[in-house]
Amino acid sequence: MNQPLLIDGREMEPPEPFEATIAALDTLQPGEELTLLLNCQPHPLYQVLRRNGYVWTETWDDDGTNVIRIRLA
Amino acid sequence: MSAHLSFDQAPPISVPLRFFLTAPLFGIAAGLLLAIDGGETLANRGHPFTLGLTHLIAAGFLLQVMAGALFQFVPVVTGGNVRRPQLVASLVHLGLGLGTPLLATAFFTLRPALFTAAVSLLAPGLLILVAIVGLALIGVSAQGDTLRALRAAVLSLLPTALLGATLALTLSGLVVSPVARVLEAHQAWALGGWALTLLAGVSWSVVPMFQITPPYPTALTRTFVPAMLTGLGLLSMGLLVSAPWADGLLLLGKALLLADAAAFAAMTLNLQARAKRKNSDSTRLFFRVAMICLLSFCVVGALLLATGGSTMTELPVALGILLLLGVFGAAVCGMLYKIVPFLVWLHLRSQLPKGVIPPNVNRMIPPVRTQRQFWLYLLGLALLLPSPWLPLAARAGGLCLALSCGLLLANLVGPVRIYRQHLRQHHNQFISQNCADGERPES
Repeated sequence: MNQPLLIDGREMEPPEPFEATIAALDTLQPGEELTLLLNCQPHPLYQVLRRNGYVWTETWDDDGTNVIRIRLA
Repeated sequence: MSAHLSFDQAPPISVPLRFFLTAPLFGIAAGLLLAIDGGETLANRGHPFTLGLTHLIAAGFLLQVMAGALFQFVPVVTGGNVRRPQLVASLVHLGLGLGTPLLATAFFTLRPALFTAAVSLLAPGLLILVAIVGLALIGVSAQGDTLRALRAAVLSLLPTALLGATLALTLSGLVVSPVARVLEAHQAWALGGWALTLLAGVSWSVVPMFQITPPYPTALTRTFVPAMLTGLGLLSMGLLVSAPWADGLLLLGKALLLADAAAFAAMTLNLQARAKRKNSDSTRLFFRVAMICLLSFCVVGALLLATGGSTMTELPVALGILLLLGVFGAAVCGMLYKIVPFLVWLHLRSQLPKGVIPPNVNRMIPPVRTQRQFWLYLLGLALLLPSPWLPLAARAGGLCLALSCGLLLANLVGPVRIYRQHLRQHHNQFISQNCADGERPES
């Protein structure tokens, strides 16, 4: 079964958001986008994404949510 | 776990762990020495015994953790490439691990040769750390406030080490220097430029991540390092220059440093109060204590600046305890309870077979054990703070500190055992599965 394309990590205890994201990336297909919602900048995750050929964008909502959109480069 | 994702940027787990597991030993040693010797000497910060204890805490306990954190943080958070991490970590660990007890012993015995021996181990260890980690940080193309803070902190280790070496060599009789001024500069660069800047830079990333707070405002993260370096520059000039306006520079430098530190402390407390999930885990509690102590230090410091100082010889020692144990010791304990389980989890993820889930990070160290260590640490701090005036409190405070650091070590060993057990278990499963299938296991 495919992992979800939206992960709301704002209420999760770290490193659950990291873990859920890694699991979701397992099944991410070219052209698909994974959206991760957090309250911070997950620098360790960014390093993993960078080293494994993913790109991402960050948009900060007014309520302080970091909307991170991840896809294969 | 995803088999295809690379976690290569993390150094081998032994690289940071060796520092994290060595650090509490220095805290235990300092606590026991206090418990045995008592606090009579704490009334004077220049007393050799006090200086020896100070360095067991600062260069032993705190520096070990901070060095280990750099080896982990730089590649995993900034993407910096620390070359030959195992070799470099071994050299740094050896230099600090042997140099620090030598330095403390030099203070306790006042034997000049021991000061020289300590410098010959500490200085290369620190210079290697600065050079290799500094190169890794310079090589990072991305920008950011955490990266800027780490660069500033590592850079500040240089004057810290050089000034410290100058002092030690002065005490060994090999050089002559204005000790009081060099000491003040050494303390400012060590505590402000190195330790506080490192703590702040790491906090920009890990406080929102691990304590689920809003992010630090950019107004603070962008100005902290420039203000710190400006304050240190003014202070250093004020100490070096012989001119009528030198005192003014010194005052301005100190005021700027205190304001910078106070802003960081106040904002961290504010963010903690606004955390989305308000649990009182030990990391949060330790950080709260650290920031309250930092704010208190800044308030007392500002009052002293405004009133022209104090003649109480005990006060600088109490302020030193507040900073070293109240701020940095507490922050370091809190950080370790997040870093070590996360390290174990990260390395198990990359080494266990696909489909095998590592244990939950938040259950690797039972909360009741971290809380026990926290309260014992707080009790020790509460006893040690007045001990320059009340020597009797030093023995009890020292004992609490030693026990607390012992508990810290025991708590950190737990996740390491979990790591070894999981690897062994899955290695044994692989062996028995393959032997049952009639295949030879790979060596």
